[in-house]
Amino acid sequence: MVEGVLCNSKPSLYFGQEGEESEMTSSSVGSLQERHKAAKDTVNSLRESLKLKRLELLDTDVASYARSAGKSGVVFGATDIVCCRTLQGHTGKVYSMDWAAERNRIVSASQDGRLIVWNALTSQKTHAIKLACAWVMTCSFSPNGQSVACGGLDSVCSIFNLSSPTDRDGNLPVSRILTSHKGYVSSCQYVPDHDSHLITSSGDHTCVLWDISTGLRASVFGGEFQSGHTADVLSVSINASNSKMFVSGSCDATARLWDTRVASRAVRTFYGHQGDVNSVKFFPDGNRFGTGSDDGTCRLYDIRTGHQLQVYHQPHSHGEVTPVTSIAFSISGRLLFAAYTNGDCYVWDTLLAKVVLNLGSLQNSHDARINCLGLSADGSALCTGSWDTNLKIWAFGGHRRVI
Amino acid sequence: MEAGSGGSSPMQPSLPPPKPKSPPRYPDLYGKRKELAKVQMLEREIGYLQEELKFFDGIPPASQSCKEVADIVMAKPDPLIVMSKKKRRRCRFWKWLCGMSCLNISCLCCCCRCSPSLKIPSCCGDCRCSGSQSCCRCSMPKCNCCFRHCCKCFKTCNCSLNCCIPKCLSCSDFSCKRCSSCCCLRCPKVNFCCSCTKNCCYPCFCFF
Repeated sequence: MVEGVLCNSKPSLYFGQEGEESEMTSSSVGSLQERHKAAKDTVNSLRESLKLKRLELLDTDVASYARSAGKSGVVFGATDIVCCRTLQGHTGKVYSMDWAAERNRIVSASQDGRLIVWNALTSQKTHAIKLACAWVMTCSFSPNGQSVACGGLDSVCSIFNLSSPTDRDGNLPVSRILTSHKGYVSSCQYVPDHDSHLITSSGDHTCVLWDISTGLRASVFGGEFQSGHTADVLSVSINASNSKMFVSGSCDATARLWDTRVASRAVRTFYGHQGDVNSVKFFPDGNRFGTGSDDGTCRLYDIRTGHQLQVYHQPHSHGEVTPVTSIAFSISGRLLFAAYTNGDCYVWDTLLAKVVLNLGSLQNSHDARINCLGLSADGSALCTGSWDTNLKIWAFGGHRRVI
Repeated sequence: MEAGSGGSSPMQPSLPPPKPKSPPRYPDLYGKRKELAKVQMLEREIGYLQEELKFFDGIPPASQSCKEVADIVMAKPDPLIVMSKKKRRRCRFWKWLCGMSCLNISCLCCCCRCSPSLKIPSCCGDCRCSGSQSCCRCSMPKCNCCFRHCCKCFKTCNCSLNCCIPKCLSCSDFSCKRCSSCCCLRCPKVNFCCSCTKNCCYPCFCFF
């Protein structure tokens, strides 16, 4: 009787396998501990074998290949990318931003406890949304541009319909609150072409696919007894070419590829980083993705083979390591924009793995660290958000051949 | 139950007093279950890793993927990348600005004539300024935080002017302020062009 109560007290999610009861009764805790140790040793040895096998297959990297193939580098003048707008209005550090699909609108989230929706062309604010919890960490535009989502230390993801009428105080009401994360919501992104689906990552080590229309979780990726991240998940990026696939970056120094149809385990785990993976972003072709980490490097991985194709690392004097806060690829994939905690924002030539420009050193750049960045849908403008409370829009300012 | 039934028939002999027993000693099932779950998780992990090892037998080396990357990035046009430095100066950036409904076109036209080839003045070469301390008394936003190469230059002059260096591009109202003479930056370099009658500030940061 008591045993039955105990059995029912744990969610079946954890103990669903057949024959488990007989295994339970036949195994003592001591023998289980022995099995655990043996299994752990096997896992470690298999991981080592995998590592060696992977190294065998890494016959080159992108930069070596490009050099051997005689590819020339991208050349940037000091004013080829210029700051053409400064979006002023936040009174706290800007933590996150996202472009709307239709190009010229931006939503930004700041420690001042507000989301601001901007018209990037005119610098005008179209919405200033006061949040119930000021500790916002992420924001995202829905694909149709009608809604924005945000999340943060309150562990919930709040959805705002931009066309909702404001309340008596002029505030936009929350249209939906997605609750169930047991840790902070570090990142959120709408599933492309599915305005009612959104993926969040959280400090509770999981990612969740939400059905916004019902407010319920459609799938949970990872968790205590699942094959998933073993530390806080900091970032997600959904594959624009195949919205069933997404990658996540975590404090466990790995990135994982997930298939939304198979929540029980990650499709692949990508090792290599020596620190928290703060940012992940899909490469434009959808077959690769980039990462930015506390170890000061950005990396490019192939999702089909699992190969680490390139490490983007700029050595600093005195061996300082400058964590990467955010990354974004240009529309062709040739440029990788990476923001660092020291205020630098390198433009990497992804092909030759060289820094071609540092936006942080330009004369009208931000005054503090850049915490988030993103490319407009057509790839013609970059937006950066900084702890100096401003956002800046950068665009091509040099010469161009007219074809 | 027992007490209730006893109460309903008071004539019956009273039941012996309860002798509570300690519950039987059950094994620590929770700890055991947790241990078992851990083992099962690891065994599942072993299965995945063995699958992954098998998967490696069929995958191509990294060079193939590198080639794909090279082909992809070279094939697709990118609005942020320089294609040629010789031809016309029309660019998407200006298109961007021209899309603005409230834009002062005459000012822009003036700017478009300016070739923005920035050079660091010789007096500023060795200056490195990070942080946000004020480096001169200019009232311009960036003067207060030393754009990195020029703060020494600013320090050496008593610049109290409304120096226009970054104003034109970053300000939201696109107001072009007239700059007075500046001691060391050769500012302003006012560029009058055919359709622009204003003292446009943008050329100020083009050190011809």
